Amino acid sequence: MNGRLKSVGLALLAPAIAIVLSILVTTLVIAAVGSSPGEFWSTMFEVPKPRLRVDIVNQTAMIYIAAVAAAIGFRMGLFNIGLEGQYTIASFSAATFAGAAYLGGFANVAASLVVAMVVGAAWAGIAGVLRATRGVSEVISTIMLNAIAVTLVGYFLNNYGVKEGNSVHTKNLPSGTTLGGWSPFEDRDGDIWALAIVAVLVGVGFWALLNKTRFGFDLRASGQSESAALASGINPKRMIVISMMLSGAVAGLIWMPALFGGARNYGTSFQVGLGFLGIAVALLGRNRPIGMLFGALLFAFLSVKSNDLTFGTDVSPSIVQITQGVAVLAVVVTYEVVRRWRTRLEQRAVSRELTATTGATA
Amino acid sequence: MRRLTKLSAVAAVAALALAGCGGSDSKGGGGDKPAAGDDVCKTADGDGPKIGLAYDVGGRGDRSFNDSAYAGLEKAVGEFDATCIEGEATDGEAESAREDRLRNMAENGATAIVGVGFAYSESVNAVAPDFPEVNFAVIDGFDPDDQANENVAYLGFAEQEGSFLVGVAAAEKSKSGTIGFVGGVNNELIQKFEAGYTAGAKAAKPDIKVEVAYIQESDLKGFGDPAGGKAAAAGEFDKGADVVYHAAGGSGSGVFDAAVEAGEGNWAIGVDSDQYLTATAEQKPFILTSMLKRVDVATYDFAKSVDAGKPLTSFVTYDLKQDGVGYSTANKTAIDGLTTTIDDYKAKIIAGDIKVPTKP
Amino acid sequence: MPSEVDAVQLRGIGKRFPGVVANHDVDVTIRPGTVHALIGENGAGKSTLMKILYGVQRPDDGTITIEGKQVVLKSPTEAIEAGVGMVFQHFMLADNLTVLENMVLGAEKLHGIGDGARTEIRRISERFGFDLDPDVLVEKLGVAARQRLEIAKVLYRGARIIILDEPTAVLVPQEVDALFENLRELKAAGNSVLFISHKLDEVLAIADDITVMRRGTTVGTADPATATKHELAELMVGSELPSPETEESTVTDTVQLSLSDVTLTDEFGRNLLTDLSLTIRRGEVLGIAGVEGNGQAELVETIMGMRIPTSGRIMLGDQDVTHWHTRQLREAGIGYIPEDRHRHGLLLDAPLWENRILGHQTRPPSSKGMWINRKGARKDTERIVADYDVRAPGIDTPSRALSGGNQQKLIVGREMSGDPVLLIASHPTRGVDVGAQAAIWDHIKRARRNGLAVLLVSADLDELIGLSDTIQVILRGRFVGTFDPSSVTPQDLGTAMTGGAA
Repeated sequence: MNGRLKSVGLALLAPAIAIVLSILVTTLVIAAVGSSPGEFWSTMFEVPKPRLRVDIVNQTAMIYIAAVAAAIGFRMGLFNIGLEGQYTIASFSAATFAGAAYLGGFANVAASLVVAMVVGAAWAGIAGVLRATRGVSEVISTIMLNAIAVTLVGYFLNNYGVKEGNSVHTKNLPSGTTLGGWSPFEDRDGDIWALAIVAVLVGVGFWALLNKTRFGFDLRASGQSESAALASGINPKRMIVISMMLSGAVAGLIWMPALFGGARNYGTSFQVGLGFLGIAVALLGRNRPIGMLFGALLFAFLSVKSNDLTFGTDVSPSIVQITQGVAVLAVVVTYEVVRRWRTRLEQRAVSRELTATTGATA
Repeated sequence: MRRLTKLSAVAAVAALALAGCGGSDSKGGGGDKPAAGDDVCKTADGDGPKIGLAYDVGGRGDRSFNDSAYAGLEKAVGEFDATCIEGEATDGEAESAREDRLRNMAENGATAIVGVGFAYSESVNAVAPDFPEVNFAVIDGFDPDDQANENVAYLGFAEQEGSFLVGVAAAEKSKSGTIGFVGGVNNELIQKFEAGYTAGAKAAKPDIKVEVAYIQESDLKGFGDPAGGKAAAAGEFDKGADVVYHAAGGSGSGVFDAAVEAGEGNWAIGVDSDQYLTATAEQKPFILTSMLKRVDVATYDFAKSVDAGKPLTSFVTYDLKQDGVGYSTANKTAIDGLTTTIDDYKAKIIAGDIKVPTKP
Repeated sequence: MPSEVDAVQLRGIGKRFPGVVANHDVDVTIRPGTVHALIGENGAGKSTLMKILYGVQRPDDGTITIEGKQVVLKSPTEAIEAGVGMVFQHFMLADNLTVLENMVLGAEKLHGIGDGARTEIRRISERFGFDLDPDVLVEKLGVAARQRLEIAKVLYRGARIIILDEPTAVLVPQEVDALFENLRELKAAGNSVLFISHKLDEVLAIADDITVMRRGTTVGTADPATATKHELAELMVGSELPSPETEESTVTDTVQLSLSDVTLTDEFGRNLLTDLSLTIRRGEVLGIAGVEGNGQAELVETIMGMRIPTSGRIMLGDQDVTHWHTRQLREAGIGYIPEDRHRHGLLLDAPLWENRILGHQTRPPSSKGMWINRKGARKDTERIVADYDVRAPGIDTPSRALSGGNQQKLIVGREMSGDPVLLIASHPTRGVDVGAQAAIWDHIKRARRNGLAVLLVSADLDELIGLSDTIQVILRGRFVGTFDPSSVTPQDLGTAMTGGAA
């Protein structure tokens, strides 16, 4: 039990160091531009107002889904940098489908989620197929597909979207299909979106898939050693395509809580950048379901709270992007450092044990 | 070790991506933000209305839209003894962040709140019903649902009329008989600029040739791509155009560079704000004029209406008559001989003798 | 050659890794101008010791003294500065560069990159009989020439103490003799050589001094003039040396695997395997001998479905499996002991019980339908650990922490699970200690008695002769000779492996 506690402590060491480091760097940057770090942190660490708490939960949900999507790829050594494009085009497709109101009520929601997953999977699948058949690096192809997705969506929106003032958006959802959510505080503080539950399902599903299923085993094996996976009978090409598509399908869900929670259409309220946040959080959380949950919560907290900065301080809210970026870089580096330190600890433990036994037998 | 390099690579990509989000903050054209001390909201302590100003991405210091709104705010604060409160958007922020910004202002006692840019349309629509005693305005905004809001004004501009005037200026200035237009993104809004510009040019010189190019068909990156702007403008200069007007936001600096490279006798025309004032020393002599979209006028006007107790609501279009659009005469040596002609057309538009088209 | 200062003195060297003590209390003294052999079974700690002397790893205890000066080597660069050079078993050469370019790469400052360097290379080459032309592309060189180039590279950089890590492993017997000639020249010029090996004949033939390692420490020294193979072996093993011995034939008439005219071409249309035909019956061990890189790996991967033959047919029993995938083949009962256990046989960071599942994902007791059967897999891992004497703290230990022999025993145990009909064993005892080697041989023999068909690929000719019922020699992707192990000698095989030439 003591050993277990120790190993948990060691596992937490890396993220803890990373967070301290990112706080330090952020403080230095703020001080360097001549603002007050004290003001900054006291604003950031103030207990958030009820409506911000709601926002934090909603943002955490979306970022978490994005992180899981990224982690599916990472766990098998695929770097799906294209979450951004996948959820953009999937969100647009789902919003268009839902707005067309082929179905009513909850069936429309369910069908739209399926559309989002299928489109996300298909878009990511392009990169998967390119990698499997032509050896094209998925990093390059997904970055390019991001640009293509944004252009395509813009084109369809401009030509077939609903124009309003200077903006265009997809058709509004029919009134029966906005799910709203659960309001923990006053009405005006907003709802925790109903589909935030998707994040929970995705997280549990990810854990079970990885640890309980044959597919998950194959996925992890492929990630740990491609050559050993091949020799064990795993078809690497098939795995690449399937896991890319799975990653894309989950990516398709990223913005769905917002769409059915309050956005009503794909337009100015579409939130960009969640895909990249997801990648960062997957790194921060070491692709572990629980780790990513804390990572998503941290990022959501920083993003949401940063809005207060424009009032209390003269620090630009963009500064939290530095905090987030440093946290990710630092966690990658410190994890490696901690791992080596841990290895040394184990070495010492082993040698102690060995001396003890030789002493006994001698 | 190999794992570490692989991970670092991904971390670098992620960091780049995050940095990339922040990168477009600088689309104002490299200008330093004004020092905090300049901020009128820090010093204002009058007992007039409290004005909230929610900036679009880029915030104060973008030398364009946001700064223009600030100029209107400054004027209003001075005149109505008002106080003010500001808030800045970050790139890729959530819809809820915009709502939160507006709510914060309302809760802090602002009675007139202006959202700069149409991106605030949805959030104002969501927040306004919760604060019936507060008046909201959205620059370039629209009402996203069927229920009209009693306390929201949507402030639009007759961009085609301003563009008409610079079209006249371009045609008059051109010696080659060919002028050019560079749009950021080929959408309905930018087509309005093109339509007015072409109409103005044809009115001044019926046989003038207008080269038209768009940087992007649909991707909004067309507004933040100086290299693309430069390439598009250079193409038009190559085809014989000697005056090029851009409606391409941050890509415009590339259009100016193209004019500089095309050399003396070639001109560029700016957009939204008076870009002569913010261009580099090298670019300045080549900037004939700018089509002005008077966000400051709209902001000030809205504040004034609230102060007077007759707040603006619903759709308001700022056109030549209200001085909501116009053209700049900052580059005196370049524009001096043309102002009489341009002002003639201006009078005709205001009088209703000329109807400026909104579609090319 | 008496000299006042020893070339190298290692005193009390210790080095620990998680789960293993790689070295402890190691003492070695190398006299100048001698070939000093360091012998010991694989896993005895020779590699770690070399890496310490070459600055790749830093010792936890002990001192290194080079030519009378105590040094701390933090990197290979510092080792080279101190006069220590190393030739690794796996060559580090750029194929598409010339001998000259490979030589000066990273040492441009010494003699420039032009004629100065060329002259120096010629000088070294002639002095020691390396026969190297500076302007030939490395890809045109054979294995032995590449090895000479590696040695020359080390000398070019000014090394006086040269570590050779199992230099003979990649050579056929005839090439070994040539290498020994070069070594004698080196020593005559006053250089010292640390010669790592576990082949006792070779060591007795070339060494001036011998140090024996066992279980991470030096257990003794021997004088090659008086020592016998048997004495050395006992020092190395600490007990009687086992040897593989064929038992009476258990070959049946039922053909388990047959290949007919199997040809495999690479993406450039070159033949990797040409018209290979073979049959293995139940109860038969077919040995494949050959110098490494002559198509053994490709043959194994083709049978395992990791490569699909360009033409020809593969039959497993009476089923045509030519186009089957690895997983189908494994499910049909093929066990596979891969050549490189780290790359192909294990998930190093995964616990033992997960490694038990690898390759058996679709079969009980590892899985139930689409689910992993954690309980079943763990229980069966306990069985393997007990039956195959895998020494590990527990089945949750990551496989990385195990020694090579125990890793290999786990793999053998795993591949023997589920009653295989055919075992493909590629170098099954490479890099394992003597105890594990004997155990693995026993397991193969027992399975053969029970009717298992075995394809055995090995570089260890004694192992091939001792275990096989038939031996096929492979050269450039073709079978060039069939031998009866009861009458063949390693020399005969060596001749066939190099195409009959000396």
